[in-house]
Amino acid sequence: MISYYLKLGLLSLKRNPMLSALMILAIGLGVGACMTVITVNYLMSADPIPHKSEQLFYVQLDSWDPHATRDERNLPPDQLTWTDATNLMAAGKAKRQSAMASSGAVVEPQGAEAKPFNASIRLAYTDFFPMFDVPFLYGSPWSAEDDRNERQVVVLSKAMNDKIFGGINSVGESLRIAGTLFTVVGVLDSWQPVPRFYDLTTGAFNTTEDLFMPLSLKMPLELDSSGNVNCWKEPEQPGFKGFLLSECVNFQMWVELDNEQAKADYLAFLDNYANAQKELGRFPRPLNNRLSDVMTWLEIEEVVADDARIMLWLSFMFLAVCLLNTIALLLAKFSAKAPEIGLRRAIGASRRDIFVQHLLEAGSIGILGGVLGLGLALLGLQGIGALYGEFAENLTSLDVPLVLLALALALLASILAGLYPTWRACQVNPSQQLKSQ
Amino acid sequence: MLKMQRISKVFRTDLVATHALRDFSLEVAEGEFISVTGPSGSGKTTFLNIAGLLESFDQGQYFLDNEDISNLSDNARSRLRNEKIGFIFQSFNLIPDLNLFDNVDVPLRYRKLPSAERKRRIEKSLETVGLASRYKHLPSQLSGGQQQRVAIARALAGEPRFLLADEPTGNLDSAMAASVLELLKDINNAGTTIIMVTHDPVLAEQTDRQIYVRDGQISNIASTAQIATPRLASGA
Amino acid sequence: MRDLGPILRAMLRNKTGALLIAIQIAVTMTIIVNAVFIIQQRIELMARASGVDEANTFYLSSVGFADDFNAKTTVLEDLAALRSLPGVVDAIQTNAVPMSGSGWSMGLQTEPGEEFDGTGVAVYMIDDHGLNTLDLELVAGRNFTPQDILWREPAARNWPDIVIVTQAVAEALFPDTPVADVVGKTVYINDDESINIVGIVDKLQAPWVGWGAVERAMLSPERTLFNSAQYLIRTQPGQRDILMPQIEEMLASSNKGRIINNLNTIEDTRERSYRRHSAMITILITVMVTLTLVTAAGIVGLSSFTVNKRRKQIGTRRALGATRGDILRYFMLENLLISSVGITLGLILTIGLNMVLVNRFEMERLDWFYLPLGMAALWLLGQLAVLGPASRAAAIPPAVATRTV
Repeated sequence: MISYYLKLGLLSLKRNPMLSALMILAIGLGVGACMTVITVNYLMSADPIPHKSEQLFYVQLDSWDPHATRDERNLPPDQLTWTDATNLMAAGKAKRQSAMASSGAVVEPQGAEAKPFNASIRLAYTDFFPMFDVPFLYGSPWSAEDDRNERQVVVLSKAMNDKIFGGINSVGESLRIAGTLFTVVGVLDSWQPVPRFYDLTTGAFNTTEDLFMPLSLKMPLELDSSGNVNCWKEPEQPGFKGFLLSECVNFQMWVELDNEQAKADYLAFLDNYANAQKELGRFPRPLNNRLSDVMTWLEIEEVVADDARIMLWLSFMFLAVCLLNTIALLLAKFSAKAPEIGLRRAIGASRRDIFVQHLLEAGSIGILGGVLGLGLALLGLQGIGALYGEFAENLTSLDVPLVLLALALALLASILAGLYPTWRACQVNPSQQLKSQ
Repeated sequence: MLKMQRISKVFRTDLVATHALRDFSLEVAEGEFISVTGPSGSGKTTFLNIAGLLESFDQGQYFLDNEDISNLSDNARSRLRNEKIGFIFQSFNLIPDLNLFDNVDVPLRYRKLPSAERKRRIEKSLETVGLASRYKHLPSQLSGGQQQRVAIARALAGEPRFLLADEPTGNLDSAMAASVLELLKDINNAGTTIIMVTHDPVLAEQTDRQIYVRDGQISNIASTAQIATPRLASGA
Repeated sequence: MRDLGPILRAMLRNKTGALLIAIQIAVTMTIIVNAVFIIQQRIELMARASGVDEANTFYLSSVGFADDFNAKTTVLEDLAALRSLPGVVDAIQTNAVPMSGSGWSMGLQTEPGEEFDGTGVAVYMIDDHGLNTLDLELVAGRNFTPQDILWREPAARNWPDIVIVTQAVAEALFPDTPVADVVGKTVYINDDESINIVGIVDKLQAPWVGWGAVERAMLSPERTLFNSAQYLIRTQPGQRDILMPQIEEMLASSNKGRIINNLNTIEDTRERSYRRHSAMITILITVMVTLTLVTAAGIVGLSSFTVNKRRKQIGTRRALGATRGDILRYFMLENLLISSVGITLGLILTIGLNMVLVNRFEMERLDWFYLPLGMAALWLLGQLAVLGPASRAAAIPPAVATRTV
């Protein structure tokens, strides 16, 4: 019976090809627009590390100006001072912890052909890698001892290893970076969390860095400070060291804490630390230390762009228009079929039969519209990619759940659109229809 | 008041040309009630359409109230239809979404009459057909005979010089048909010229004059007895 | 309007279809009016001038890495070489580039003391060629002289004694003083370090286009001794694209102890900085056009359908004396009624959506005149869409009336 209804539905679609095309197009456009925007929003607000996002916490300490808050929402500064970052690392109170900063330096590959170039660097501690489940292709992270002893060791991104060493296992090789010879200890596999949650201060959707090395090297090698440097007062001492020892913030820190108790303990530790610093004349503001898990931190840093949210609103309204369109057209179509429905009822079709037949017709429009919508969404995402360039590079890929969502959306939309017209079709009074023939 | 001279009308398709009317000539005097009969496809409806200015013709001349309408514009023909001609259709052709009042109002609207005058005429004509009290009803709430009465009221409201009726009783049972015919006779007695197309000889014989159309021509202006053949009689 | 009553009554008999179209028109209007408003705002944002000679200016970075790299001699040699090149109007070393997204900011205050709030300003470190290179006009006071220019060490904390500020900074710091009189005033940087305003320039944007106070910038008479330096180069009209590769090559080969990178025009920088806005504009326009087409197609589709369904009725009306114009008017008027219902609803929704956008996304309130414009546009859209089906209705011959089903 279902196949008979489907056949009837398709026949009916063929009978008014323009009208059917219009309905399919409307559903397709609505679903396409929605899916494009949903995808972007979904990827923007995706949990970048789902299995442990609740155990990773971003550390904020309020070391700011007594006369002004850093943020309208009375949040502490979004980064730490060098002093606090290194102190917290030295205390080592969490299960895992890594202070970090972004930097950059000139890399001088060996060989006559190779030209020196600028590379981006993530300065971190050894825990950075296991904490964020960073995949290694070759080698391993540097050790805690390397951190302590300020050893010149480096982990390369896969792309860097391909560029400098042609993709071979380069562990143990030497590389001149920032005028100093480094030893390669590891090479990463492809790794691109979206959003790039570990440092949101330099763009939530940036690509991961080229090189990773111990943060402890920053002082001896006087490595550049990239990202945002914010100061509420000038350094008291001159020079690079003076800058590091100042109240300027440029460092991020993440800790891994297994449970609520661990979190409470760590927060208590932070408050104790802040109080101890107050004794030393720092931390002039009231205690305001925070631990935010990954999703909270993404929320606080407003990672999902307002424009994306606005577009989400608009796209749902767009879909609504397309649906209204389809409902109106289906209504017109089914009402024109009243004589046929009357005849079918007269020769024995039950209301249910009529209902199923017409809902299937609406559903087939939905499926066709959904397929069209998927195609349009792919097109739309490419368009977004082209329009936004590198910013949206990591935000425009459809995955299986999204494809299924698109089809479900289309089917749901068309069935929703078909429901009322179908119900109306079922109300057809067979005797009246036949009489007026 | 109506004079057709050697009117011809040909319907052409790619394959065939059908002569719906051939050298069709007819004169109708003011106040007449004539009936037009003939088999299906004989040209009855084409005659009616041309007479009612619903269709143009290929050859010949047609004078309505001594006015040559052969070369009138579409708008002028609309105006003439509106002012001089009333129509009654076999399937009533009431507008289902409008109530009786608004249905009767339709031709008056196109005549751009002031609203008080329209109201007076609508009430009067609904009165004439005996449906004044039901002016708020929709056509679907009426029986077939009542619907046709509304259609007649609509035709009368325009106070036409002549009335064209196309199988006015074709969709009605005999009792209702008789009452509709009585109504038409009353209207005719009041001075309106009526041309009625019908295949019902019983109705036809009650008119002043009968015309028998066959193959697009008037075959003869027959007496009642001549056309009351058994073949046609069975049609009612 | 004489058909209004019966049309309205007939419409109410089929209110679902009419209502659906009305809601569709309402939502369409809501989206279109708000989208046009957003687009207009973005266009205004993007139309702001940076103050520099955008078409003829480019910049690049020089990053020293060799052990024997000498920042001071490199900068002096580079500047001398750049300034003597034919086709170059002028060149400077600077710490920041307008619209590039990265730069320095400091707080300036009119009274010393850490208890006073500073006014945030962007810092451009330039020398006496700065005004010419950046295409700035002195509104009051004087330019820097070669003697004013100091060398800034990495991680230096102190500032030169003099500064040139933009008009916007002068107005922000001294709102009650005529701009010309701000010259000679003393302001404080780092809470209590005094500096003297020697000049005021017309307009120079900060590097951050998204910053609310984007026109606040100060010019500090300094060249930097950092390993990494940026050069901003202004060329004669039409010379930029020829000079860019030449200069890149010249600088790269003149000193092997550094790399030259980050070669960009100001125009590209503007394009990149405003890309999300231009992207939003493109997306919104696409949405508007598609939506308009969908709604128009819906009206066409539904009206065609109604016309087909009412063939007999239309024929009857023609038979009863309606002219073609009457039939055309009937459908146009019917559409006008439906549109009006939709537009009235649309007015409410439009203002509602704008309120949501204002509350949730800190957007601005809709200007009132967008509403009548939106209403007119939707009315026009409806009338245009229904024109085709209505004309087809008008072409239905009156003889249809006598045809049996």
